[in-house]
Amino acid sequence: MVNADTNPKLKALNAFLTNWRQNIIYIGFIAIFVIFALTLNDRGFLNLNNLLNIVRQTTMIAVMAVAMTFVLSAGEIDLSVGAVAGLASVTVAMAISVAGPFGGIIAGLATGIAIGVFNGWLTTKIGIPSFLTTLAMMGIAKGIAMWVSDTSAVPILSQGYAWWFGGGSIGHVPVLLFWMLIFGAIGHVVLRRTSFGRRVLATGGGEQAASYSGINTARIKFRVLVLSSTAAAIAGMLYAGRLQSGRFQLGEGDELSVIAAAVLGGTSLFGGKGTVIGTIVGALMIGLINNGLILMGLEFSQQLIARGGIIILAVALSQKRS
Amino acid sequence: MSTVAVRMRGISKHFGGVKALDNVDFEVFAGEVHALLGGNGAGKSTILKVLNGVHVPTAGTIEVAGVPLTTHTPAASRAAGIAMNYQEMSLIPTLTVAQNVFLTRETLSGGLINDKEAERKASELFRMLEVDIDPASIVGDLGAGQKQLTEIVKAISHDARVLVLDEPSTALAVSDVNRLFTFLRKLKSQGVAIIYVSHRMDEIARIADRATILRDGKNVTTAHIADLPIGTMIEHIVGKRSLGLADVERKDVIRGDIALELRNVCGRDKPQDISLTIHKGEVVGLAGLLGSGRTSLAKLIAGIEPITSGEIRINDRPVNIRRPSDAIAAGVALVPEARATEGIIPAHSVADNATLAVLDDLSNAGFVDANKLRQTTDAQIKRLSIKTASRNHAVSTLSGGNQQKVVIGKWLATDPDVFVLDEPTAGIDIGSKSEIIQMVRDLAASGKAILMISSELSELLTACDRIIVMADGRVYDDIPHADLEDPAEVNSNAAHRLQVAEQRLQIAIQEALTAGQEVSNGQR
Repeated sequence: MVNADTNPKLKALNAFLTNWRQNIIYIGFIAIFVIFALTLNDRGFLNLNNLLNIVRQTTMIAVMAVAMTFVLSAGEIDLSVGAVAGLASVTVAMAISVAGPFGGIIAGLATGIAIGVFNGWLTTKIGIPSFLTTLAMMGIAKGIAMWVSDTSAVPILSQGYAWWFGGGSIGHVPVLLFWMLIFGAIGHVVLRRTSFGRRVLATGGGEQAASYSGINTARIKFRVLVLSSTAAAIAGMLYAGRLQSGRFQLGEGDELSVIAAAVLGGTSLFGGKGTVIGTIVGALMIGLINNGLILMGLEFSQQLIARGGIIILAVALSQKRS
Repeated sequence: MSTVAVRMRGISKHFGGVKALDNVDFEVFAGEVHALLGGNGAGKSTILKVLNGVHVPTAGTIEVAGVPLTTHTPAASRAAGIAMNYQEMSLIPTLTVAQNVFLTRETLSGGLINDKEAERKASELFRMLEVDIDPASIVGDLGAGQKQLTEIVKAISHDARVLVLDEPSTALAVSDVNRLFTFLRKLKSQGVAIIYVSHRMDEIARIADRATILRDGKNVTTAHIADLPIGTMIEHIVGKRSLGLADVERKDVIRGDIALELRNVCGRDKPQDISLTIHKGEVVGLAGLLGSGRTSLAKLIAGIEPITSGEIRINDRPVNIRRPSDAIAAGVALVPEARATEGIIPAHSVADNATLAVLDDLSNAGFVDANKLRQTTDAQIKRLSIKTASRNHAVSTLSGGNQQKVVIGKWLATDPDVFVLDEPTAGIDIGSKSEIIQMVRDLAASGKAILMISSELSELLTACDRIIVMADGRVYDDIPHADLEDPAEVNSNAAHRLQVAEQRLQIAIQEALTAGQEVSNGQR
């Protein structure tokens, strides 16, 4: 312990362990990984292919969860992300068939931005809490997606689009891994190191104090909601590329996994506290748990129960007790 | 020394028919600490809000360093160099000290925020202030004093020409106050004008160069501090105030048995070692400044904050109060300070609010008996003459005074022996004030024991039979009402007698403050 004061590495380790509650997500991730590696090795858990599969299944959640970290940090919530992803997968697929890949990408992004602007406008100008705005938008987006696609899958025939958006891989490494890394890196820097990120955290940490300090908190809330819908649309485009089709069911129910990933990672539901790296690890942890439970041969019903239990345990352990 | 930093001329501010400020002249020089004094409602916070752009004056002009201020917005005032500390209002609890100090003016390197550099700059500022705060620590983890100092550092780091400090020392320990003063003198020598609002006259005598005293929205005097001994200051502050309270009847009450007794009661932080007794039929006042521990004491008795040691006895029996329901069962009722959040549920009806504390008594097998609910509510509406369109109207539609009556009615329904009232007339117009005070007297006459907290001394003097003076979490004085009256003045009119008593009580509060600081000095 004497060394802890002088050796910077030991000092960092010491701080890490004394703040173990804050870092429970990383400890838990490693612990679960080791447990699965030991118990499920004979079922192929450590196979490179299996591990990359976890990445493939997690990227869309991670992309949405990075933006959700901003929304939660600003003290708001976005429940419409799953439905927006589904709608964007449909609009991108339909637009590609008439206007080619670039037209598709623009249509997909426009879908996300338009819904985000509408969410933000309702929340900041009309004053409807984002919980209600986005809950309503969840139904509206899904309804539009079902309507325009006539509830059937819209195929995507562009191989180039499919490669870039979710289907391709470089050697063994799926393109999706790069999407996750790029989103994580940009999100981390923006939240931690830009004045926009600082204003987001300030708005959620104390709205009154933030506005006394000269921050336009309504504008910040508007922007994080637009950010969230846009990220959801990109996730939908990745779904569409991976499955080479747009379907309204894509992304269904993802909002819960997305919020769980952010909260598991250490982002506060009450605003003011957020970490993008934690969110990425939280998303990977959910993917890891899903994968492990399937390899264990659990039935879907049992998977649901086990997953819920693990999430409750992780969040409960991270709570500070007074 | 004689450059004028702020010149406010003929400032008036009307709210509806109420003149909060009436043709006030106020001048502050660069490089001076200028104390702004006055009782509650004298207009101090209004003139400060006019200065920092929150209020637009009805009439008058403002010049900052010779330049007229034409637009009245917080941004315009800030741009003119006026900085104000908002009593912990502008700190984000989840960010670090350095991040808070430089919020919206972050130190960038290569377009990205450089927190290390911000921490270095913040620690430089703190070194200047000789305050030991780690710029990397999270504001939510700081003590009240450290938060206050962080707030001030944030305010002055904007290169302020004029610094407004509204009761900056309230949350500070004595050693922190000394550091603050050292720092203010340093700022002063750099030509910053400091407007200092405080109720602590000893502090003002130590730090201020000049003082302006407001009363009833008018500037009573502006003078050098040397020409204002504490007695004169108090005389100016109290003045010959128009009294709406003089019509409250003060019949002599019959003191019954002891209803509430505290023996060496301590809370977690404040209050410390409180012993007191209140008899049935008696109204006891708690006087003291903000931070003296009055509200904490009320919360201890009502079971909202835990008792760490000591004993509470009600009707000569020890009671164990650990949560509000224990206190209610023991016969204690608290009318809390924050009426809108702690007293009423604004969107609910008068009936729902008035019966909230006795729902179980009005219920059969878990179902609320609508008839009993109506009867109980109507009885309270009648007894307290609550003015409401109906029992089913939301409490938020009532005036402040009538809302407070609903709170009192809610507790009357539980038939308590002890009433604790924390600032019962805050935010209530003067007519309803005397009605509430009269109600307090009547409650006592019906045999209740009453502990009443108020920052308005004239109100305490009108309502109470005895006044306990607190400072720094302790009881310093216990003065019967008669001792505050001047025997030579018995025959003069009620308003004048009240004025004399108020001056004596003011002096007692200031003395307790000095004594309290000596005690905490001795402990350090």
